[in-house]
Amino acid sequence: MTLSQILWIYMYLTLIGLIAVSVYGIVRRPNLLKKIIALSIFGDTANTFIIFIGFRRGAATVPILPTLNPTLEQLIAFKNTAVDPLPQCLVLTAIVINMSVTAFLTALAIQLYRLYGTLDVREAVKLKW
Amino acid sequence: MIEQPLVIELLLAFSFTLALIFAYLAVMERDLIRAVVFAAGQSIAFAYAYYLLFAPDIVLAYIAVGVGIYSMILIFAISKTERYEKV
Amino acid sequence: MKAKTLEEEKTHEVIIGAGIAILLILTVFAIILGVTGYTPSENIRPLAQFYLYYAMNTFKKELWAATPEAVNSMVWDYRGYDTLFETSVFFLAVIGAVSVLRLPGVKDVVSKGILSGRGLSLIVKVITKFIVAFILIVAISIAIHGNLTPGGGFQAGAAVSIASLIGLAAFSRIFLEERHVTTKLMLPIRVLGVVGIGLVALVPAFIALSGILVFAMQNQPKVWAPNFGFPPGFGDFWLSGNQFYYNFFEFLAVGAGFTVIYLMYSIPEYFYKEVLGKK
Repeated sequence: MTLSQILWIYMYLTLIGLIAVSVYGIVRRPNLLKKIIALSIFGDTANTFIIFIGFRRGAATVPILPTLNPTLEQLIAFKNTAVDPLPQCLVLTAIVINMSVTAFLTALAIQLYRLYGTLDVREAVKLKW
Repeated sequence: MIEQPLVIELLLAFSFTLALIFAYLAVMERDLIRAVVFAAGQSIAFAYAYYLLFAPDIVLAYIAVGVGIYSMILIFAISKTERYEKV
Repeated sequence: MKAKTLEEEKTHEVIIGAGIAILLILTVFAIILGVTGYTPSENIRPLAQFYLYYAMNTFKKELWAATPEAVNSMVWDYRGYDTLFETSVFFLAVIGAVSVLRLPGVKDVVSKGILSGRGLSLIVKVITKFIVAFILIVAISIAIHGNLTPGGGFQAGAAVSIASLIGLAAFSRIFLEERHVTTKLMLPIRVLGVVGIGLVALVPAFIALSGILVFAMQNQPKVWAPNFGFPPGFGDFWLSGNQFYYNFFEFLAVGAGFTVIYLMYSIPEYFYKEVLGKK
């Protein structure tokens, strides 16, 4: 086991720890805004897993060509050393959708506070219409 | 000696550890405004990790959304509702 | 009876939590040991090699996208439909948030003296004036050069809304209303941005009325539809087909959408109680 493999296993364990902390925050904390904070942490960890899929060790570069008139050798070198750009495109879409859902959820939470007078989930469940 | 992939992996491990510490502090905090500040710190640690993973488009989008928009929406929502949670 | 159900509930939760944790640990170890082939490898997959090789390939013009930046070519050209529906999801989310926090009968909150605050101290005000100007310049640069440098439409829109936010926080609301940053102006700008994206995507459809074979959101002439394409650029002024227009309209739509959300959220609560309490 080289030092590199140990570091990758440590990183995966840290991400599992982040998922566990955020799921605990969603399930066991009674305030609605704390649940929304933990949900955003969960979404970011999932995006990081997606980017790990497209990563390339060794001589890696950014997927952007620096010239406007590339020769054929430059294109082949670019193809052999650049990082996968497809997961980055999907993560951009995922960030926008997570942010839209969070903005809508906080609007609903504010409206719930106006109607019920409390943001505590355990008490709001007991109230009737 | 230390070559380039190893340096990147050491810095990645450091930034993920920092993100885990901030996330744990954010979930366990009873004062909601301090929890929002810790969540913004966790977003900055993740943005540094995305920079090390060679993804510059995501760094720009994520800093603007994670530190600017989430913090703003949550602080406005806290000012209209309660500040402390009752565990 | 109540204590018994609480304890049962607690052990129930602990069992579920432990189950989820064990399942996650087993999955991640399976991925690490290479069952699915996703651990950090030395090569990328053939689909990614295709996108990287043909994004700016002037020798084989049947398949290119005329963009030196591979991520932007995939957001608007090779995978354009994903971005189209993501923009519509964002549009609907802003409509939903604004309609939940509604103000019946008051279209735009003109400051009747309740919202004219004092702002923060003098040091913060002077620095904020500099920072707002810098943010506007940087955001427009990110939007227009989206097809040459990292950036694009959405990143620029999110950045320009931060400028209006710190103007609102350091000064008062009158600072924004004197410069006509109100909901009455921002909602039409948002609609203009989204309609612009739709029209640029439908330009091939109007051309198809004369009998040429095209497909929707077409950027450059392809092998199976070789008769229509946007001009890729003139010398050093590189437009990359229709991606320049897409980036600019997305910048308008996203920036105005976020500004509307900030303006609706920053109205203090006693104003709502005044308006809603009368009904």
